[in-house]
Amino acid sequence: MLEKEKLRKADVYSGIVIFLFGAWIVWQASKMPMKDSWGGVQNVWFVSPALFPLFVGAMIMLLGLLLFRTALKTIGLKAFGDTLQWLSSSKLFQFLNTVSILRFYAIASLFLAFVYLNIPRIDFFLSAVLFLIVFITMFYFDEAVLLKKLFFFYLTGTVFFIFYFAVGLDGLLSQVLPFAKDILALGFILGYCIYAWRLVRNSPQLRKKYRTGLIVAVVAPFLVGMIFKYFLLVPMPAEGMVVALLDAIWYFEF
Amino acid sequence: MMIFERIGTYFQMVYHLAADPLNILILLSSVILGIIFGAMPGLTSTLGVALLTALTYGMDTATAMLCLLAIYVGGTYGGSYSSILINIPGTAASAATALDGYPLACKGEGGRAIGLTTTASAIGTIISMLFLVSISPLISFFALQFTSFEFFLLAFFGILISGTLTSPDLVIKGWIAGFLGLFLACVGRDLLQFYPRFTFGIPELDSGIEVVPVLIGAFGIPQIIQVLKDRFQIGETQKFQRILPEFGTIIRNIPRIIRSALIGVGIGSVPGIGEDIAAWVSYGTAKNTSKHPERFGKGEITAVLSTEVANNACVGGAMIPLLNLGIPGSPPAAMLLGALMLHGVTPGPMLTFEHPTFIMEVAAILLLASISMWVVGMLMAKQVVKVLRIPVQLFMPIIGILCIIGSYSLGMNIWNLYLMLPVGIISYFLIEMGYPIAPLVIGVILGPMADENLRRALMVSQGSFLPVFTRPVSLILFLVIVWTVVSQFQIYRNFKNKLMNLVFRRKTCEPEFDADAPKED
Repeated sequence: MLEKEKLRKADVYSGIVIFLFGAWIVWQASKMPMKDSWGGVQNVWFVSPALFPLFVGAMIMLLGLLLFRTALKTIGLKAFGDTLQWLSSSKLFQFLNTVSILRFYAIASLFLAFVYLNIPRIDFFLSAVLFLIVFITMFYFDEAVLLKKLFFFYLTGTVFFIFYFAVGLDGLLSQVLPFAKDILALGFILGYCIYAWRLVRNSPQLRKKYRTGLIVAVVAPFLVGMIFKYFLLVPMPAEGMVVALLDAIWYFEF
Repeated sequence: MMIFERIGTYFQMVYHLAADPLNILILLSSVILGIIFGAMPGLTSTLGVALLTALTYGMDTATAMLCLLAIYVGGTYGGSYSSILINIPGTAASAATALDGYPLACKGEGGRAIGLTTTASAIGTIISMLFLVSISPLISFFALQFTSFEFFLLAFFGILISGTLTSPDLVIKGWIAGFLGLFLACVGRDLLQFYPRFTFGIPELDSGIEVVPVLIGAFGIPQIIQVLKDRFQIGETQKFQRILPEFGTIIRNIPRIIRSALIGVGIGSVPGIGEDIAAWVSYGTAKNTSKHPERFGKGEITAVLSTEVANNACVGGAMIPLLNLGIPGSPPAAMLLGALMLHGVTPGPMLTFEHPTFIMEVAAILLLASISMWVVGMLMAKQVVKVLRIPVQLFMPIIGILCIIGSYSLGMNIWNLYLMLPVGIISYFLIEMGYPIAPLVIGVILGPMADENLRRALMVSQGSFLPVFTRPVSLILFLVIVWTVVSQFQIYRNFKNKLMNLVFRRKTCEPEFDADAPKED
């Protein structure tokens, strides 16, 4: 949690955001049938589907306003003005470039790319290995410089994959090469591992961490994935090259 | 005679559960997993229950409950390991234990402290289980008299009280979190008219937002972000030798144990607030009633005893409103509610009709889980503690994978992930800004109950709110809600102080004229 003074300054803005959100809920609810007929049923206000959202929206608006008032009363108008000035100055960009915020960007980007880009399209095992290897190396090394370099390398690869899928290259390449996207993902994983190794090869401590991270990043998804796939019988979100290989082994043996 | 019959049935159930070696294996594994989840800072018993919900989805209800309750009990107890050995609470429930547990470990009495917390936790769970079994029929009987107005007011009260008591900053934030949860519950087609609300034409949102992935997102993602962003490091653990069960200390402190258990059960029964508050209230009470309060914070045994009995007694206490009213008493209980609904068991007043032996089964599982926890704690604490050496940067990403595959596996629906992640990121920002997450989760769970009952109640009364004031239970609930809200404002506090001053001044009124006072010339 932020410290008290910063919290109250942030509360002024969050109060406004919450008030506006409540207003949006009320606006959306007002479009729902209050008196008109819906599905052959003549509505009255107390049966209307709008009743509860209106109540919730109104309460959120009221509470947002209360929060805004309480926070403004605590910090005063002068501090509110100072905060506005800070937000429109270069100090905001400095704040957004701090190591702590970079860590947040890294974690959020990893999760967003994993969930929205990789999981629906690329073989789950490869997606998970990529997710873990990047996540572990970025944070386990515990160095801001390395974190930045590794994050931007990963970001470049992610942008490439976004372009690859958005433009429809996957459809074209898949006709020529089976499991094209999985091969590209595997290539990216190998490229990332080589890049990370080159960054840490001069430090024995980091090399040891690299090896540990690599083992965990490869073993964990396979352990978890195989439990879900072959014991709990949960099909993976995207099944590609690795799943085909595992299926061949598993169903051949058993 | 009926009581003896019930006791006989209960012990028969315990025997049937314990007689199957597979059940014992599942019980021990789940308890160990729970202890690990509890011991690792950054992991919580709620997250453990959430992840295990996904893993036990395909199992039968009894086995799934065995796993989930065992991990809940183990997780609540496991937090004491890191509290005592590294002064970092493994879970919020054991934050109070660290105050005296860590000084004990520093004095070389770590083994004694762990032995005490193990025995105390087992006793706390067993006492709460006794309350669960004895009070449930009474609550079920009253709950069957409830109508829609009472259920709406109860759900509303649950969200308000959870927001009031769990908010680390302003109370308004707790209420906002609760109403945000109610909003999330509005998404989807409404239950009475099937009208699509806030679906924006997306068919996947027609059935609403799934509870379990939201819970996983709300509890798991913020933890991962916080631990890694803030560069959390687990320090060196204190060494400890033999772990002793400390029966002598337990026997000497029976009144304190009973008091702490009552606090734990009472607080666990209140919707939404959990083991952490029970532990702190118990600690505070133990200190205020102690003959040597100056020893608290320096390694006082009774402090450790009080907190651990209370936080584990909360487990059974949280089951009371969960099973009898369908209102979770704590965040892990909220997770259990989601799990029960997945298995087709709807907790509430009708539970005793639809599944007559369910509450007894839960009590039997709690007893076995307590015994397993005690055995594991006594024999395996030294081995389990080794997991604290694993760097957080290695296991938190794995927890991320488990959260994602766990959410996906419930319904095999990728939309669960698409919803889970934004909920998780927004929850992180809310937590940073001092908003509690428990009321949000309670809001998501109780939202449909509140919505449906409000409209049903108004349908019966034809739009009139008069029954709120004419029905006794509704009126009491309404007044409690009003008092809960009003008592948070300064105007009320000022008024109350003036009233108290007026009353006390009149009672101890001294004569205006003092006849003995020397006269001034």
